[in-house]
Amino acid sequence: MKQQVIDPFQAVGDPNRRQMLRLLSKESLTINALAENFDMTRPAVSKHVKILYSAGFISIEDIGRERHCMLKQSGFKQLQQWIDYFDQFWAVKLKKLEDLLNEKAKKL
Amino acid sequence: MKKMIKYNWFFEQSPETVWKYLTTSELMAQWLMNNDFELVTGREFMFKSNPQPSMDFDGNVYCKILDIDPLKKLVYSWKIRQGEEKLMLDSTVTWFLIPKKGGTELILEHTGFDDWKNDMIFQAMNKGWDQNVRVKMGNLFNTKPNNETTGN
Repeated sequence: MKQQVIDPFQAVGDPNRRQMLRLLSKESLTINALAENFDMTRPAVSKHVKILYSAGFISIEDIGRERHCMLKQSGFKQLQQWIDYFDQFWAVKLKKLEDLLNEKAKKL
Repeated sequence: MKKMIKYNWFFEQSPETVWKYLTTSELMAQWLMNNDFELVTGREFMFKSNPQPSMDFDGNVYCKILDIDPLKKLVYSWKIRQGEEKLMLDSTVTWFLIPKKGGTELILEHTGFDDWKNDMIFQAMNKGWDQNVRVKMGNLFNTKPNNETTGN
């Protein structure tokens, strides 16, 4: 499967894809089993699966002739990273501003 | 559940001094990041920091000044892109300055993590990732199925 990076926000922006994630949060499913839950063509289902895969929400494993989809955590982690990163970032920057202002005050 | 980043910080300096350090490009560069900031509503500017390869973050933050209330409040958007097109983070930074005895209280709110797309992810992430979350996620994915943009 072609590896292309997709924005996780964009990946979960579609109601069908959220429904797919919901189903996969209960159990791993083959693409065919997944497709049975949707009123859309098999290629359309495959396209959504590809997007979820590219965004890191699911992994796909070939077992026999079937492709099995399962939930993966990296798509969620990427978003958590931003919050953790900027939380830390601001704490460091605000301390730096405080030090800078106090330093200037001393010099006056 | 965490919806935003928020800090309250006390400075022994006046609101005038703190405001100057929040709104003057050269002074901002001394404690925050290099930038081409200009205190004009609607002005777009950029912060440049060190790239964080592990997060696919090139170190550039794309901003636009949304609101200015001199000495009291400053709001700008805070966006991170990958390549020309792809938006990785679409958030907002708000500064409030409150005069206090002997100094200034500075409040920072970094928001935008609580709109529909972040909401579900936030809930899923903040509780960690375990079997319980997988079950709870079933409910999360059921919320707000309508009134939003469809992706590809």
